[in-house]
Amino acid sequence: MQVQVLSTRFDIPDANKIEVAKQHGAYATLDKVFAMQPEEIIEVVKASGLRGRGGAGFPTGLKWSFLPKNIDKPVYLAVNSDESEPATFKDRYILVRDPHMLIEGIIICCYAIKSHAAYIYIRGEYTTQVKVLQAAIDEAYAAGYLGDSVAGRDYKLDVTVHRGAGAYVCGEETALLESIEGRKGQPRSKPPFPAVEGLYGCPTIINNVQSIGSLPFILANGPEAYKAFGTEKSPGTHLFGISGLVKKPGMYELPLGLPILEVIEKVAGGLRDGRSLKGVIPGGSSTPVLTPEEAQTVTLDYESMAAHKTMFGSGGIVVLDDTVDMVKLVENLIYFYHHESCGQCTPCREGLGWMLKIVKKIIRGEGTTADIDLLTELCDNIEMKTVCVLSAACTMSTRSYLNKFRHEFEAYVAGGAPAQAAM
Amino acid sequence: MAEKVKLFVNGQEVEVESGKNLIDAIGAVGIEIPHLCYHPALGADGNCRMCLVGIEDGRPPLVPACKTRVAEGMKVQLDADKIKKIQRDIMELELINHPIDCPICDQAGECKLQDYYMKYDGQPSRMTVKPVLKAKKMDFGCGVVHDQERCVLCARCVRFTRLITKTGELGIVNRTDYARVNIFPGRPLNNRYALNVVDLCPVGAMTSRDFRFKQRSWFLTKSKGICHGCSKGCNIFIDHNREKYKDDIIYRFRPRLNAKVNGYFMCDEGRMTYKLENDNRLTTPQVGGRDASFNEAVEAIRRAVSQAKKTVVLVSPSASMEQMFAVQQLAAAIDAPLTGYSDGYLKQGDGDGFLIQDDKSANRSSFALLGIDDSKAGFEAAVNDADLVLSFQNDLSRSLGETEMAQLLATVKLMAITSSLNGCVAKAAVALPVASSSEDSGSIVNCDGLLQRYAVAVVKNQPACDLIHVVHLLGGEVKNVQEARAGLQTAVAALQDVDLEQIPAEGIALTVNEVAHVAA
Repeated sequence: MQVQVLSTRFDIPDANKIEVAKQHGAYATLDKVFAMQPEEIIEVVKASGLRGRGGAGFPTGLKWSFLPKNIDKPVYLAVNSDESEPATFKDRYILVRDPHMLIEGIIICCYAIKSHAAYIYIRGEYTTQVKVLQAAIDEAYAAGYLGDSVAGRDYKLDVTVHRGAGAYVCGEETALLESIEGRKGQPRSKPPFPAVEGLYGCPTIINNVQSIGSLPFILANGPEAYKAFGTEKSPGTHLFGISGLVKKPGMYELPLGLPILEVIEKVAGGLRDGRSLKGVIPGGSSTPVLTPEEAQTVTLDYESMAAHKTMFGSGGIVVLDDTVDMVKLVENLIYFYHHESCGQCTPCREGLGWMLKIVKKIIRGEGTTADIDLLTELCDNIEMKTVCVLSAACTMSTRSYLNKFRHEFEAYVAGGAPAQAAM
Repeated sequence: MAEKVKLFVNGQEVEVESGKNLIDAIGAVGIEIPHLCYHPALGADGNCRMCLVGIEDGRPPLVPACKTRVAEGMKVQLDADKIKKIQRDIMELELINHPIDCPICDQAGECKLQDYYMKYDGQPSRMTVKPVLKAKKMDFGCGVVHDQERCVLCARCVRFTRLITKTGELGIVNRTDYARVNIFPGRPLNNRYALNVVDLCPVGAMTSRDFRFKQRSWFLTKSKGICHGCSKGCNIFIDHNREKYKDDIIYRFRPRLNAKVNGYFMCDEGRMTYKLENDNRLTTPQVGGRDASFNEAVEAIRRAVSQAKKTVVLVSPSASMEQMFAVQQLAAAIDAPLTGYSDGYLKQGDGDGFLIQDDKSANRSSFALLGIDDSKAGFEAAVNDADLVLSFQNDLSRSLGETEMAQLLATVKLMAITSSLNGCVAKAAVALPVASSSEDSGSIVNCDGLLQRYAVAVVKNQPACDLIHVVHLLGGEVKNVQEARAGLQTAVAALQDVDLEQIPAEGIALTVNEVAHVAA
């Protein structure tokens, strides 16, 4: 089931070094890329059907084409490497194992969108990753792949690594821009969208590390080769991070469109012996949970997830077996989103803290049925009333647990003691 | 006039000014969109989410009104159940961690949270868990006291220090419900407009140390006035109250919107000049250092004038135009030179190019209109062989040093007709109290040549006589304000086209030429 499109060099020792990476094909597409017109590259990316790998799944080529034509301002690329969604651990592999794939992708993207400056916004906790990445960028400068003359061409490109300070919300693209600009990471109201008014008021494209990392393959092998993987509407491959209560958790590259249960069983080794499946979080903690029944028919692509009223998200699959206390899981979830709320909008700032306290109250055994109903209503009251979707990330997922596992909340209310048998 | 666009609010067609956001444009025709963070002078931030409105057929269907410009044909939903529910929900979330200490909160009565709760919420609390506890009565400097628990984090105060004063003392620290408005350690508010954050705060989070716990806002009469603290003439509200068995006292000045003068703001020094209206007032007439009756004092001055070889009349640059005219007529009648010498009212280099001016008098521009000389040379020439100075509200001790004053008083007698117990009163042979600016009405011309009108705001239990009447009792021709205006109309060319009885609320600009056109 596993494929190697993005991960071809992941297992090669020292592939983060430029000589090793070059021996295995890094920067080989640049000749072809510079022979093309920028518009042609955008068309190739559009034709490949590559969708944003940060979670929203917006078509990458289409995003690029939103840049205003005939602009007299500089265009920026911001690479979103603030991988902070719980259960998501895919970009870190690219950053450490094959940073030159990312740099090559950045060169391709910047050439296509006519940008001469790219920022890689990397989460502050990624200390090893930032060291490896910066070393690779230094190598690329020394080897002439970055700087005043990229690969000997009359094309200038500078790449700057910007370290975050540990805020989840800075993964939101406009908060990320605020953070790069040196301000508190708080999302901006949209419109204007970053493609029109982004970094320093200039048109800016923000792409996920994996989206950018997919570009060298697409340009080298053509859109059809990329579309050979995956489904018609969700083409390509994805780095899936499978975690939770499985025998072989880890990062696996898979084509899109595979049945989720088959992947859990065959790729991740299945559940621990004697355990049964209780639920699956399909794409990072913010995506609504799937029950085992729903999981039967879910495949790992954007359409199937949407049909099951959840989201593909970031490909961070969390497998939950019968030992998991869903109420405590929700507490953990809300704790995270509450802690990471930027505090700008009233509903998110005040509401998530309230939700957390209500869940804690239920867990203490002091809750009532009215508290469960209030929690459900608060999800509706908070969701989509804010500048960004951080609050929705919390409420959408919380609501799914409340709807699908309400009996566990009720057990707490009724028993005033843990609903689960002692593990 | 700005262009108009037609749009629909709750299905009703309204015509509004184009280029504005929904809150301002629709607000101008009397339809309120609730909002906490938006302020016309500070722009839209979009954080309170109270102004979310529905746009029929719009993408997206739900928008913050503060960030949405009006557009032709736009269909705005304000009374849809969906929108009412959002307003209710946002209010609930604003209030869950709010202390609801209205009974001891200065803002009560003029608080957006109170008003909006009554209008848009009205639900009982569903909060059954402990609220977030935050810091109270924090000293932010410049007389600003902050209560973090009452704060709704609208960031108006933060934006004020960033956009208006550009001093940036305030910020919001921390995220989520740990977010707090705060100063940087050891760096309190340090600007001359800091108290504006108290007015800007839509709730009771920012309070004025000076005003705290003095009065409930609903007891205050909010009279319109003009600040006399400098030549800018900022428009103000004079908030005053006559408590039972007590006198009419002013508790605070607050800025009043006038786009032509001060916008929404005023300086802290001007704000504190209300104290001059309450305290340190001359209340009892004095003759030769002893208390006297009003009539005795008037009689003493009349006698002094009739016996004097040469009388000099001195008028204040803060007097109203009408008062100046009356004094000018008196000076002519008794054949005395008139001077407005008041160098002490000038504080060179104190102005900041925003609201604060060097000239701490309110109406020096009228000297030019009326042809009153305020030069030191003119004053010295006038007092040269004089033996009597009649000073109308002019505190000569501000302009003359101690020795100069002593030298002057060696040869002349000083008659101080004044409202305040200033440096001249003790040295004056006769001191006669008159009404202060908040107790009188008149017209003043500010430093930009804008003619403004103020009316009587405060009526004391024992009102002091107004200055024009005193001038009349001393032999002046002008009996009252109306006569003064009629006289001004004919005497001052610049005012001939101005209806002095009908000055618009925002004032009327006298063109540069008119100001320069000095009356003969």
